[in-house]
Amino acid sequence: MQKVKCLVWDLDNTLWDGILTEDKNVSLKAGVKEIIKGLDERGILQSIASKNNFEDAYKKLEELGISEYFLYPQINWGPKSASIKRISEQLNLGIDSFAFADDSPFERGEVAEALPQVLCIDAADMDKILDDKRFIPRFITEDTVNRRKMYMADYSRRQDEESFDGTSEEFLKGLDMVLSIAPVTEHDLQRAYELTVRTHQLNSTGYTYSYDELKEFINSEDYIFLIAQLTDKYGDYGKIGLILVENTDVMRIKLLLMSCRVMSRGVGSALLIYLEKLAKKEGKRLLADFLATDRNRVMYITYKFMGFDEIEEHDGASILEYTSEEERDFPPYFTINTEKL
Amino acid sequence: MTTQERILAFFEEKGIKGIDPETDLFKGGYVNSLFALEIVMYLEKEFKIKMKNKDITEKNFKTVTKIAETVERYL
Repeated sequence: MQKVKCLVWDLDNTLWDGILTEDKNVSLKAGVKEIIKGLDERGILQSIASKNNFEDAYKKLEELGISEYFLYPQINWGPKSASIKRISEQLNLGIDSFAFADDSPFERGEVAEALPQVLCIDAADMDKILDDKRFIPRFITEDTVNRRKMYMADYSRRQDEESFDGTSEEFLKGLDMVLSIAPVTEHDLQRAYELTVRTHQLNSTGYTYSYDELKEFINSEDYIFLIAQLTDKYGDYGKIGLILVENTDVMRIKLLLMSCRVMSRGVGSALLIYLEKLAKKEGKRLLADFLATDRNRVMYITYKFMGFDEIEEHDGASILEYTSEEERDFPPYFTINTEKL
Repeated sequence: MTTQERILAFFEEKGIKGIDPETDLFKGGYVNSLFALEIVMYLEKEFKIKMKNKDITEKNFKTVTKIAETVERYL
């Protein structure tokens, strides 16, 4: 069963009682505020697809004190399926993880017809939604709770990046990024698990492990198991990277992955430089497993440009080794927080 | 435009202006791994090629001349 990641609300007679163009004093439907807050605490994002005048409707949401809960609200006279599609593109979430609530059978029908993957809900059934399994995430991590704020921060970041006049490195310098690299603790395990199953593009091997296996790595002498967190002047990206290194007579990177939200931030290079420094300090060779998929070529290129050479290849499964003589330093646009070096 | 000119145009577009085709891009600090990634993606799209893994090396991307030579082997 597909879990819902974003719920899109209609306004008139769904979120509030009445029709705004006819009655300026509409009030929230009973129980709606609890639903909004409840879903928000579960990390389910919310947005709006409403046929209304944008200024009037948005002002009403502000008056009601709930405007901050909605990302990329679409208030216009176009088809609602187009609005929902736009929201999914802006949030970079698959359309099959969307739900749409509306009182009008016509609007639900239009969306169901154009976007059959979207779960359509009659406004009259909204009182049951908090108990619906599709709206109950598998587990709640710290990153789940802050998800909306992270997406909000992404929005301002993207706006500024698009209008920035200069090189990408200059833009990165202005972000004041702080990258923290720390051993995984028991507290991080659910998030670590979530990262291994949710991350595909920026993932060097795609290896997955059970919760208990991950727990073993924490205390094992033979493994280095690290989690990375990124913040910048816009806010917290949360725990966004994971490293698993088999540490015996050589160091061998089994897993290196990052959330797609930090793409083009240079996090991959910074993590590799960290591992290069660590291997040098321990006087060990640094190897890396790489398993090619149709989506993770970016990671291969990152390894190659960070001084790794392919020493073995067999059916898309490679072993890379760090062979560069050159001593690398962390990119100047990062402040690196770490205990291990 | 020659291959080299097209590559230089890409650098200009990225805000890196007036570099010599022989400049060591890594030493000059022009290329971090991030930018290197962008270059590979750009080259593949612009010249409609698919670079082989063995060609994706620092050596082949050291200067604009080197990059152009690498690309031309595919054309």
